[in-house]
Amino acid sequence: MSPSAAIASPVFRFYAALALGLIVLAGVILAILRWGLSKNVDHAWQSYRGWLLMMPPVFVAFFLGRVAVIVFFTAVAIFAFKEFARATGLYRDWWMTGGVYLGIIGVGLAALVHDPRLHVAGWYGLFMALPVYVIAAILLLPILRNRSQGQLQLLALSILGFTYFGWMFGHLTFLANAREAYSYLLYLLFAVELNDVAAFVCGRLFGRHQLRSEISPKKTWEGSLGALAVSLLFPWAVWFTFPQLRPGELILAGLIVGIGGQLGDLAISVIKRDVGIKDMGAVIPGHGGVLDRIDSLIYVAPLFFHMVRWFHDL
Amino acid sequence: MEPWQYDPARDLDKSLIDRLKCFPREPDMLVYGARLAAALLMRGWLGVYHRLTIVNRENLPASGSFVIVANHASHLDALCLLSALPLRRLHRAFPAAAQDYFFVSVPRVLLSTVVVNALPFQRRASPLQSLSICRQLLDVDGNVLLIFPEGTRATNGELAQFKPGVGLLLAGADFPVVPCYLEGAGKAWPKGKRFPRPRTVRLTVGSPRRYSHLSPGKAAALEIAGDLQNAVRELASGGG
Repeated sequence: MSPSAAIASPVFRFYAALALGLIVLAGVILAILRWGLSKNVDHAWQSYRGWLLMMPPVFVAFFLGRVAVIVFFTAVAIFAFKEFARATGLYRDWWMTGGVYLGIIGVGLAALVHDPRLHVAGWYGLFMALPVYVIAAILLLPILRNRSQGQLQLLALSILGFTYFGWMFGHLTFLANAREAYSYLLYLLFAVELNDVAAFVCGRLFGRHQLRSEISPKKTWEGSLGALAVSLLFPWAVWFTFPQLRPGELILAGLIVGIGGQLGDLAISVIKRDVGIKDMGAVIPGHGGVLDRIDSLIYVAPLFFHMVRWFHDL
Repeated sequence: MEPWQYDPARDLDKSLIDRLKCFPREPDMLVYGARLAAALLMRGWLGVYHRLTIVNRENLPASGSFVIVANHASHLDALCLLSALPLRRLHRAFPAAAQDYFFVSVPRVLLSTVVVNALPFQRRASPLQSLSICRQLLDVDGNVLLIFPEGTRATNGELAQFKPGVGLLLAGADFPVVPCYLEGAGKAWPKGKRFPRPRTVRLTVGSPRRYSHLSPGKAAALEIAGDLQNAVRELASGGG
């Protein structure tokens, strides 16, 4: 992954063109709805603005190369964890929060450096072992400050925060080291977003039966099954970007994105409902917080990573 | 099982800039880190570029809440006063800054809140409400309020009339107020100039005084404002 590789890579060019095409198309549709048919598109326009804000940094990072992508996703992980910490109150404990921040930076570093024994990009052994070290360090904090009151809650939130937002999401970061990094990473980003959009559209068109009424009242079975269908088809549409994957793996990829995407969204909804908030933040106009945008990706990325790794060299 | 008590941040539903604009601000590790780095750079720069000397720094109370008042001629004023305070007070020192000037654009909001830790003061729209926020700030032990009673940067080198608002804050209250005089700041970075020039700045810290013996009211406020104005004037001429 590098600027010259990006320009030369048909996969990168394809996804860049796709992104540009979708942005333009969406803009045109919104313009027609707003000025041609005088419909109220305020909500959609806000969402669109959010996309305009999010897409360029992602593509710039991909263009710049492996290091930029790793730094970028590590920063995203830090902000996602920060939103979780602010929502749950963990953020008030600076030692625990700082400990998790360091753990997340550790994940980024493990992805960044070369394996000292195998001499490949990304120290896989350290990456997979990091939860051991970070959890051991987090458990040390109450002991160091000689406190037990309220510590279990802080420990549990910190460990969940690191393991889910830091380490599991970090699998996406680690994918930047793959030979086919463009194929896998760009597929994941597009597939997961497509899954979300498909769920929304299908839910609007055919939604009848609530999926999980206690967790996310707006989701419907029809929406989720529609999204699953779209996600099962998408890998075939972009098979040319990863020809090394066999049909069985394409089906698995579709299942991971289609089912995992919805589960990731629901998992964060569980947390939001328990805390009693609507959005994890308000950083991205029209979308909420960073976490609201990547919730599906956090769940899907590690499953996809290990599936591909099982069948192929990464 | 007993459900956990969560304590979500009060400003979860606000965007980054909106969070900084509201007051009081939720403590934020990243903002505090940035502020500390900026403070260290600031102190270095003021020491070298402006050869800042601080006279009678020991007059500043070591603990508890207090108010600093000073003459105002330059953007450097708040920066110099903040540098006179110990670093442990860094996040507890709040310069009152005009909301209609310092909180209007994104770059200004970022500078004012992250670097200077400013308190948005509605000097024209609702000064009384802003004063009440100042009062709440002082009621929390350990906070320092920086106020420029002239209300705006003076341009002619003379001390303008001190507005009585600071008197309303202090009459009948037990907070010490420390008058200070800044010499040279107006020449180094006057109103209207884009960049500061390398002129020497000298900060003289006066002795703290209290106005708890005065009963709160307009008369006391005017008296206090006049008294503080004299105190700063005396520091200017070399006394105090």
